[in-house]
Amino acid sequence: MRIILTMRPRKNPFIPIEAEGIVPSILMTGAEITVWEGNRERRLDEVFEVAVEGEAATVEEVEVVLRGDTSRLKRVGEYMDGGRITVEGDIGMHCGNFMKAGTIEVMGNADGWFARELCGGTVICRGDAGHYCASGYRGEKKGMTGGRVEVFGNAGDFAAEHLAGGEVVIHGNCGDMAGVEMHGGTLSIGGDCSRPCGNMTGGTCTVLGCAYGMIPTFQAKGETNGPDGKNISAFTGDIANRGKGSLLVRRYQYLK
Amino acid sequence: MIHRDMICPFCGCLCDDLVITTEGNEVVQVDNACTLGTHKLMGAWKNRLKNPIMRDGGEWRDASYEEAIEYAAGVLLDADRPLLYGWSSTQGEAQGLGVSMAELLGGVIDSTTSVCHGPSILAIQEVGHPGCTLGQVKNRADLVIYWACNPTEAHPRHMSRYTTYADGFFLENAFRDRKLIVVDVRKSETTSIADEFVKVKPGGDYAVFSALRAIVRGRADVVPDTVAGVSKEQLVRIGAMCKEAKFGALFFGVGLTMAPGKYKNIRNAIELVDELNRYTKWTLTPLRGHYNVYGSNEVFTWMTGYPYAVDFSRQIAFYNPGETTAVDILARKECDACLIVASDPGAHFPKACLEHLTKIPTVLIDPMHTVTTPLCRCQIPTAVNGIDAGGTAYRMDGVPIHVKKFMDLGYPSDTEVIGRIFERIQEVKHP
Amino acid sequence: MSDLLIKNAFVIDPINRINGEIMDIAVRDGRIVEDVGQGAEVIDAGGHLTLPGGVDSHTHICGTKVNFGRYMSPEDMRAGREARRGVKHSISGYSVPTTYANSYRYAIMGYTTLLEGAMAPLEARHTHEEFSATPLQDVMANTLFDGNWGVMEAIRDGDIERAAAIVGWTLSAVKGFGIKLTNPGGTEAWGYGKDVTCIRDKVPHFEVSPAEIVEGMIRVCELLRLPHSVHLHCNNLGKPGNYACTVGTLNLAPDLNEKRQTLYATHVQFHSYGGSDWKTFCSKAEPVAYTVNNRPQIVIDMGQVMFGKTTTMTADGPMEFNLYRLHHDKWSNHDVELETGSGIIPVLYRRKNLVNSIMWSIGLELALLVKNPWQCMLTTDNPNGAPFVKYPEIIALLMSKKYRDAEFATVHPDTGSKVVLPALERELDWNEIAVMTRAGQAKALGITGIGKGHLGIGAEADIAVYPLKVDEIDPSTEYQRVIDGFAKTKWTVKRGRPVSRDGEILVHGENTTIWVDPKIRPERDISRDPRFVEMFNHWYSVRMSNYPVQDEYLRRNLRMETEAAI
Repeated sequence: MRIILTMRPRKNPFIPIEAEGIVPSILMTGAEITVWEGNRERRLDEVFEVAVEGEAATVEEVEVVLRGDTSRLKRVGEYMDGGRITVEGDIGMHCGNFMKAGTIEVMGNADGWFARELCGGTVICRGDAGHYCASGYRGEKKGMTGGRVEVFGNAGDFAAEHLAGGEVVIHGNCGDMAGVEMHGGTLSIGGDCSRPCGNMTGGTCTVLGCAYGMIPTFQAKGETNGPDGKNISAFTGDIANRGKGSLLVRRYQYLK
Repeated sequence: MIHRDMICPFCGCLCDDLVITTEGNEVVQVDNACTLGTHKLMGAWKNRLKNPIMRDGGEWRDASYEEAIEYAAGVLLDADRPLLYGWSSTQGEAQGLGVSMAELLGGVIDSTTSVCHGPSILAIQEVGHPGCTLGQVKNRADLVIYWACNPTEAHPRHMSRYTTYADGFFLENAFRDRKLIVVDVRKSETTSIADEFVKVKPGGDYAVFSALRAIVRGRADVVPDTVAGVSKEQLVRIGAMCKEAKFGALFFGVGLTMAPGKYKNIRNAIELVDELNRYTKWTLTPLRGHYNVYGSNEVFTWMTGYPYAVDFSRQIAFYNPGETTAVDILARKECDACLIVASDPGAHFPKACLEHLTKIPTVLIDPMHTVTTPLCRCQIPTAVNGIDAGGTAYRMDGVPIHVKKFMDLGYPSDTEVIGRIFERIQEVKHP
Repeated sequence: MSDLLIKNAFVIDPINRINGEIMDIAVRDGRIVEDVGQGAEVIDAGGHLTLPGGVDSHTHICGTKVNFGRYMSPEDMRAGREARRGVKHSISGYSVPTTYANSYRYAIMGYTTLLEGAMAPLEARHTHEEFSATPLQDVMANTLFDGNWGVMEAIRDGDIERAAAIVGWTLSAVKGFGIKLTNPGGTEAWGYGKDVTCIRDKVPHFEVSPAEIVEGMIRVCELLRLPHSVHLHCNNLGKPGNYACTVGTLNLAPDLNEKRQTLYATHVQFHSYGGSDWKTFCSKAEPVAYTVNNRPQIVIDMGQVMFGKTTTMTADGPMEFNLYRLHHDKWSNHDVELETGSGIIPVLYRRKNLVNSIMWSIGLELALLVKNPWQCMLTTDNPNGAPFVKYPEIIALLMSKKYRDAEFATVHPDTGSKVVLPALERELDWNEIAVMTRAGQAKALGITGIGKGHLGIGAEADIAVYPLKVDEIDPSTEYQRVIDGFAKTKWTVKRGRPVSRDGEILVHGENTTIWVDPKIRPERDISRDPRFVEMFNHWYSVRMSNYPVQDEYLRRNLRMETEAAI
């Protein structure tokens, strides 16, 4: 079953729309769902052209496709528990919040808090992700606890903050403080980043590019083989926080 | 007439020992205040906008309070995403009305916290706040650290009322017995009187805090020879001073909250203070800028659960700095009406935000013409809290003080004006 | 104000010795009267259990440290959110709810009067501001004196009258209700990171001991003729073996007052621990209950722990820091100059944790072992032991051995060897529950005289109708019905006005702040005493003239003036 939602043009395309009802298991029931444009409640079909193709017996057979200017569409896939969402353009904040199962693929860029507090399933961004990719919520000790996040472009600051479990892969560069506070799971950064893994207490982070502003309280453990077979420097820390995490960096630079 | 024990409505020190001399409706002398407070009190009873003004084509024209309040209520009701911003220089009672109004409208309410000590609050939300009232510091502290701030110029009486120059109950000769460490990226008026000046490279505070934490823990072995321009030798010396103090007090400012990493810098400072508390007594206090910005945090919190950046568009409180904060909302052009109360974003916000403010209906509630005025379509003058209006304010350490009114210049207070806008909104929403 | 008639109420009113009678309750102008005329609004209670409005004699709902707990816990805020609906504001917070949330949730449970457990005089203004935003309950504040410099110096010098003059002036100035002592002496020692460990330890510099502070303040309380007794959070809270300190402290209390207890010891569960470390940790509820049973001048409250997440917050700064050392969770601290301290840390009480299981047992043991329900109040030290919304579960546990056994089967398997709970057969009855949740609290607080805690003629019309038909429920076996029944009233009436119905909030509300104003002879007015004034000018960071809470902070208020004996 394919449910194709095409954003209608809007008078004011800057007002964010919250659409936590755009989840395969909800849409497949055909239930009337509403979305919120600022403080106005709107029916789904006021905001989108809705086209449904085929049927589905289980949620695994459902694919939701989002077209048009979805860059301000927030909370898509929240609490998702199966099925597939494909976003053909960019997606707004909080895509895949608390997701438990299923797949979300964003062909364009993703705004902040992509895959926030992910529990399971797979969330992919072909473009760049904003700040707080795969992170947690203010005040919670645990962020993402399971599942897999993959960003083919770059990610912003604080990627995988409070990572507790699961796998985060950023093929490009990260901004500042990727993996800060992480205590479990794995974070892989293909490019450069700044000040990774501050306050880390557990888990593993691998940086194949250069880590600038390397945190001074990581203990050097020598050289080892990286995931690509080549040499990589191994550190443990963050000693300032009694941490025993593992940080592997191809190149690094301290702010001396 | 002489008014004693008056409260200064300028900075987070909230000094309450001012002596203000008035002649009729003029302030002729201010004693005990610093230059900032004196200036405000000597000047803010004059230079006031005489009445509400509204845009008419390219011009400003006078308007009545009725008309301006009606206009404000109207633009807020029409909006799909109204923003209510400011709140730091007004009384608590007005702040509370703002919250109720935002809730009914389904809008966003935010205070100047989000461009100042918001990061401090974000850090506190991760690791807590080991603090105390300022009198504790005054009476006990034998080691004071000012980190990334310049109180000599920005909080001029802080050191004489609460730290270095103040008498302390437990200190024989406070001035001699107290030591002062100042950490900054450059020399300043405050660094020049420090016992120990630590010069950090810009952006290096986080690394320095991490290093100090490791040193205090007894793991100086992992720390490199220099960290962000600071020698390991100096770091070890500072670490020892901190552990040997009987009572240490760390104060910090926007040099830390607005440096790269923002709230992570504060978090690291808090975790250093937590570590030090295993050995001796340490506290930490953010040097709040506006005299009642902490008040906005307190009022917003007991009413909504969150200290700033509260989004009511779903009729339920949602908090997410970076998403629900004024600068972000304006920069992303998300709001379609804005009410600014008791603050001056025209002087502080990025250009993109100011451009957006000019494109949407913006109403300013402020006693005077400021650089925010040209961005608005309507301005409503009100009384100045601490001069011709009174109400509750919360000092930088959380102590609530009643700010007193000592003259009447015929202006309504923020509470009255916002109250009337709110009433109008309620009439429309619940006829 | 309109007239109200509640018909067919199955009333249990312990203070007036009514123990299950069907009657009508007539209300006019907010008070209970003999009868009302034809035009009255009529509520049919349908034979359901009708009690005086609930009174909580120790809860943390308003003030500096409570608000600290809120803004440092956005994750707790989001866990308890509800949208705005009708007159009901949007609310947030699970274990540290916002003021409206607290007020609505208490109203839904039938509570109409609350005592804020701790208010630092310097920050009283903040408490009063939050009181105004807790609209459906009358409120009052326990005022902290445990680390008060003026008081400690006076007690050290043996000048009890001077101590009373300071306390009296302060209560009047900050519109407080009663004397609260939290870890007396310990909070001052914490100013330099230290604590006291024994009631005979001397507080550094001030050279008074906690025992002297407690004894001195008991005498101060009686000199000022305060409605409520000294309200004490003993030293050594939370430490294995602390029961000895608790018993020693309780034994200090003389019997000085005919109308009420001389000492109210709060959240005693946290103070009834045996063993010498966490491995040997066990319950000592028995010796503590024994002491209470033999001392009618003492009233305690349970401080029951319930499993789940919550936030601890007390004026006991050093204790909260010890919890931080134990749990490494986010920790806040706030010492208040010349007065007291505070600390906050979130906790998770788990069944799998032996110590937590023992703590859970101890609270229940105290309530079952203290023979006289008028001496043991039902509380959780909200939110320290658990959020107050768990009170109905505690009621059910006390009324049903079967429920206790079922729950006991789920706690840590070694608990049985550390506690006596499984052997306790007692099941409290409806009357005893009514005492422990309202009548006894009102009596202990000294507010029955102003019409709280009972349904006699002249009482405040604070009434709770619960969806429970006493003759049709066996609380011993149908504990889930008991829980559901106490969780949500059919009607909560406050000052003669229905404020909540079946869980729906009906009105915005306008509460009353109850405060005490001891009338002291002018010669003993401490604000003219040069030594006191000098202490203020020199060591406080606010001016004395700015310290008292201005009248405008109290809207509706009830001033209880007392004729002090100084």
